[in-house]
Order: sequence, then C-alpha cells, then structure tokens
Amino acid sequence: MSESANTIQFFTGFRFNDLGFLAEAAGNTLLISVISISIGSVLGCLFGWALHVSVLARYILGSVLDIFRSVPLIIQLLLFFNFFPILGLPLEPFAAGCIVLIFYTSALVAQVARGGIEAVPDSMRRASRSLGMSYLQDMRYVVWPIGARAMLPAWTGVALGVLKDSALVSVLGYLELLRASQILITRTQEPFIILAIVGAFYFALSYPIGKLSAKLEQRWQYD
Amino acid sequence: MKLLSNKLSALAATAVMAVSLSTNALADKLDDVISEGELRCGVVLDFPPIGYRDANNNPAGFDVDYCRDLATALDVDAKIIPLTWAERLPAIVNNRTDVIFGGTSDSLQRAKTVGFSIPYAIYYAQAIIGKDSGIKTFADMKGKRIAGAVGTVPEKEFLKYAKKWGTESLYQGYQSENEVFLAVAQGKADAGLTTNTTIKPVVGQFSSLAAGPRMPWTTDYTSVAGPRKDIAWLNYLNLFVTHQVRSGRYQELWGKYVGGEAPALRIPNVMY
Amino acid sequence: MLDASLNSDIQLKLFISLASLLSSGTHMDYTFHWRPVIKALPDLFSAALVTLEAAVLSMLLGIIFGLVLALMRLHGSRPLSLFATVWIELARNTPALLQLFFFGFGLGAFGWHLTPFTIVLCGLAFNNAGYLAENFRGGFQAIPAPQYKAARSLGMSATQTYTRIIIPQVFRLVYYPMTNQMVWAVLMSSLGMLVGFRELSGETQFLASNTFRLFEFFLAAAVFYYLLVKLILLAAHLLSRRLFTY
Repeated sequence: MSESANTIQFFTGFRFNDLGFLAEAAGNTLLISVISISIGSVLGCLFGWALHVSVLARYILGSVLDIFRSVPLIIQLLLFFNFFPILGLPLEPFAAGCIVLIFYTSALVAQVARGGIEAVPDSMRRASRSLGMSYLQDMRYVVWPIGARAMLPAWTGVALGVLKDSALVSVLGYLELLRASQILITRTQEPFIILAIVGAFYFALSYPIGKLSAKLEQRWQYD
Repeated sequence: MKLLSNKLSALAATAVMAVSLSTNALADKLDDVISEGELRCGVVLDFPPIGYRDANNNPAGFDVDYCRDLATALDVDAKIIPLTWAERLPAIVNNRTDVIFGGTSDSLQRAKTVGFSIPYAIYYAQAIIGKDSGIKTFADMKGKRIAGAVGTVPEKEFLKYAKKWGTESLYQGYQSENEVFLAVAQGKADAGLTTNTTIKPVVGQFSSLAAGPRMPWTTDYTSVAGPRKDIAWLNYLNLFVTHQVRSGRYQELWGKYVGGEAPALRIPNVMY
Repeated sequence: MLDASLNSDIQLKLFISLASLLSSGTHMDYTFHWRPVIKALPDLFSAALVTLEAAVLSMLLGIIFGLVLALMRLHGSRPLSLFATVWIELARNTPALLQLFFFGFGLGAFGWHLTPFTIVLCGLAFNNAGYLAENFRGGFQAIPAPQYKAARSLGMSATQTYTRIIIPQVFRLVYYPMTNQMVWAVLMSSLGMLVGFRELSGETQFLASNTFRLFEFFLAAAVFYYLLVKLILLAAHLLSRRLFTY
C-alpha cells in the first residue's frame, strides 16, 4: 500500500505536459471541423442548387434545412446523441457530433450557395447556353467561377462559425479543445489562464482565415 | 416505378423492423455485455476522491476502480464514460451506458425509471462554505446564496427548504460540483452543497473554503444504477457489491481514496 | 398479385412500427413518456420568456455598444480605435461559449462576481456588439460623404447630423443583418444552461434531469425555439413595413 488518502493528490497544478493534452484536443477540434465543413459544404452546394432549380425542393428541403437554422445547435446535438441509443444504435460522441455538424453546415451553406448561383446574371447564362454549352458546362465554366467568388465571404463566415461552434460538441463528451479546458480547470482550478490559452488558440486559427478571405474578396472586386 | 417504390418501402420496413427487433431479441444485459466484451461504465469525474482525474488527466477514484473491478469480474474491458450529474440517469434510460457508478442515491422517484442495486457506498450531504460566510448551522443558510450541481439529490432536497423559506431565487445550479467549489471559492456563492467525502480534498485545495454544516436530510445510500427491466443484470450487480465487501476490496479502496474505516453497508432497523 | 399484397402488408407494418416508435415504442427498450413534458409546459413557456428577455436585452446593449465601437473604429483616436478593434476581433474569432465561460469563471478569478443572468447578458452583448459593429461600419461607409457636408452646411450640429440623417439610414441598411443577429442571440442564449442560467435550455435540462426524460424534453424545447425564431422573424418583417415606408 504505497498510496493512501493522505498522499494521493486530487488536484494538481497546471503542468507543462498539459499543453500536450491541449494540443491533442486542438487536433480533435480541427479534425471534426474539417470533416464537417468539407462534407457539409459539398452537401450544402448540392442543396443550394436544388433550392435554386426546384420549387418542390424549396418547400420540402427548404423547410427541413430551416429547422437546422432555427434550433440551437446544442439542442440538436443533445437530441441526436440521445435518440440513436434509444433505437439500439449507440453513437460515439465523435460520430454524433460529425453528423449534426455536417447537416448544420449544409443548412447554412445551402443558403449561401443558392445566393451564389443567383448572383450569376441570367443574361450571362443565356449567352453561355446559346454559345452551345451544355447545362453542365454552363454550371462548371460560368456559374461556378462567378458564383464561388460571390459566395466566398459568406462561406468563410459559415466555416469559421462552424469551427467555433464545434466547441459545443464538448457537451457530448468529445474531447475537443473546450472539453479539455474544462477537464484542466476541474483538475487545476485555474480558470483564467486556461481559458486564455484556449481562446488564443481559436483566435490564432480563425483570425488569419477571416483576414485572408477579406483580402481575396477585395482583390476580386477589382478584377 | 410502382414496383420499385414498393421494393424500397419493403426494404425500409425490414430495416426498421430489424433495428427495432434486434434490441429486444432475447435482450439480456448480462449476455450483451459479455458478448460485446466491453462494459460501458458511467462515472462522474468531478467528485473527488470518488471520481476525479489524475495528473495525467486519466479517470481515477473509488468509482473508477469499482468499474474496473466489475469489468474484471465479467472478464470484459471497462470503457469509462465520464458524465455530468444531470446526464447520469438519462444515460441509462437512453442506453448510452450499461451501468453507472456515480454516487447515485436510490430515491423512489428515480427507481421508477432506472434500476438500483443494493447500496454500495454511504455518504451524507454536507455544505462547503466560504470562510467568511458566517454559516455555522443549516439554519444560517437561509437567505444565503447557495450553489449546487444540477440533477443531484442535494439540489432537490435543498430546494424544498428554499421553497419554504422563499429563497429559491438565491439558489445557483451548476453543471459540475467543481463549478460549485469554484463558485464558492470565488465568492459567487456563500455555500455549496456537496458530500462529506469530498470536503477534505476540496478544503485542502482552496484556502478560502471550510467544511460547513451537515445537511438535515437523510443519509445518502448510493447504489449502482442499471436498466430497470434487466433483473438478471441488477442481481449480478447486487452480488458484485457484496463480493467487493466480502473480499475486503471495499475497505481497501475506501481506505485508499477516502481514508479510515469504510461505513458498514447496513440500513439500521430494516431487513432486506 | 401475391407480391403486391405482401408489399402492402409490409407497408402497413412499416407504418405501425414507425407509429409505435414515436408513440409508445413497444419494439424498443425505451418508452416515450410525454406526460411529464405536458405537465411542464407552463414552466417551459415562462422559461421561453426568460430566453426572449435575455436575447432582447443583449441585443439592445449590443446595438448601443456596436454603434459606439463602429464610430470608434472609424473616427476614434488611435487608442480608441485599437480598443474597438480588439473587442470586435475577440468577439468574432472565439467561440461564444468560451466568452460566456470567461465572463463566468474567468472574471471570477479576479473577484468579479456576476449572477448567471448577468453572465449571459454580458457574454451575448459582447458577442452581439462585435458582430453588429462590423455591420454598422459597413453601413456608415456606404453612406455617401457629401451627405455629411450637406447636413452640416444646413446648419446641423455633428450630433444632429448623426442622429437625424446618418444613423437612421445606417439602420435601414443593416436591418436584415440585425434581424439575423437577433435570431443568433436567441439561439446563443441556449448556452446559458452551461453557466447555470435557467432560461429555456437551462429549465429544460433541470426538468429532464428530474424526470430523466431527456429526449422528450429537449424535443419540446426545440419546438419552442423554432416558434420563437419564427415569431421574431415575423415581428421583424412587420416592423420593417412600418419603419421603412418609401
């Protein structure tokens, strides 16, 4: 019996290797964000296109996507995470978080993408079709380059929003940056420094991307 | 087209039925756990020394060791699932965990929803107070700002008194007990509701905190929680609890984490 | 023929299993209980009012601070402009939940004690102000410079120029983003449950942990939020028709 109640430490101060713990958690934040944003954006573009071309889609798909934008993300996560085990299909926090974030992203991107497609003047599209381009060629060589530039600022906003909102997956117990900070605060009781470190990390990730997108936007305006 | 849609719906129907049937086909938790080879064990990790994280951020404590002991007895791997107080019992209801070691009081209201083993540990509720709060007895807590963890028995019991006093608005509910300690240490609250075993490690950590009065409600008999309908599983858990005592493991772990003699798992004047 | 009747049989079964899934769930180990939710509807309703109150107050504060920040950034002295920039960038580039934690336990470390309501109010107002300031800045920049000169040459003071000529136009320009921000404020206020505030989500969590009916209660909360958002959008639409008559 080397350990006893008097020698075990139930709280330990912030130590150097806790930075490694935070870095690992930051990796998890990046992982879930990159997966959700990339798949969610592709889905969102498809949804946006569907909303643009079909009235039926506007009613049905539109109102489903609207739900994702009108209910707090934290509640979507809790509902989804708790529903699947009820069916006998328990989901890992990571999987549940990914699925919800993907749909959440796609709902936001769909609006942006639809706006992007509609930003391409009709006259230009008629011109491309009368030059003998097929519908797909028109989409690929005319709508995509112009629409993508039009939607870039809004899309960046969505992507950065999802990066920050991924912090909410912590409620499901997924060990991302915010969850790690809570664990460290519980153990070390030093909330200020830990919150500051975590805040600095998000800032370091989000700020340059936002600035870069603003620069691109400006440059494209003078093209 | 019609045929196709019929085929599709038939497929969907079979899928739905397969999903719904697979859950109740000879459903016995004990078999499930053994055949899965994994015990999903829920614990609360802001409850030192019963559940906490060690310096390497790994789960540790009395409850965590109990999880591992149970997994060893079943010859499966233990998967420790950290939970907050509030999600502890819904996690059983929603089948996210097989079993909960979370200092769960075996209240009759809870027993309507989840199943309980015989008590595996006994605590009593005690306040942790700010040194300058001037609280000496429970009656002094009237009109003070009191913090507690959402979804715990102390919260529920205290709110009954607060309602009588008309001071419900002064109560603050937090996600974790740790936040309760922080709230009291930082002076957001005058006192926090916690458990006798937790007082010592927490007072050792915060110089501004002191042990407060014992709460007037009854002793906390805490049980292992599992799905309500799985009687065989609950029987197994009962046997596990008695074996932990008989083998001396209960005393060993209590001595290691809490210190001193482990409370006898007996309810006076009751036969059970 | 046999095939077809078989199929319709399966369709019937599909319907029944879906219905039972949502009503009593006999196929599952889980039984949905809606009674506790229905009993708690009055509580949820008053909690929804708390959510609305927090969102509206934080929005008003956000508009005031946002305007000040935008003007500081455009016309303020160097330190003022720097202050505004730091506020705006911090609000926009860190998670709202982190900001709430900061107003909660972060400030608590310095002996600043805010009640859960104030934490949520400060956190949301800080966040709203950051986003709105950028909208306002765009609005101010979109107003042609000659208008300032014209107003001043008509004998208006600088304050009059702003309050009577410029700001009303800016509000019209940023009305749509402001409506969006209001919806965000309602959705963000749900984070209050993680800092001990009993708004709609906090109340839902409290009730769910008492009855263990987490799924049912949060589904009800989702419906409340959805209706709340629709109500705000409708109100914003009606208001815009009254305010902006051309």
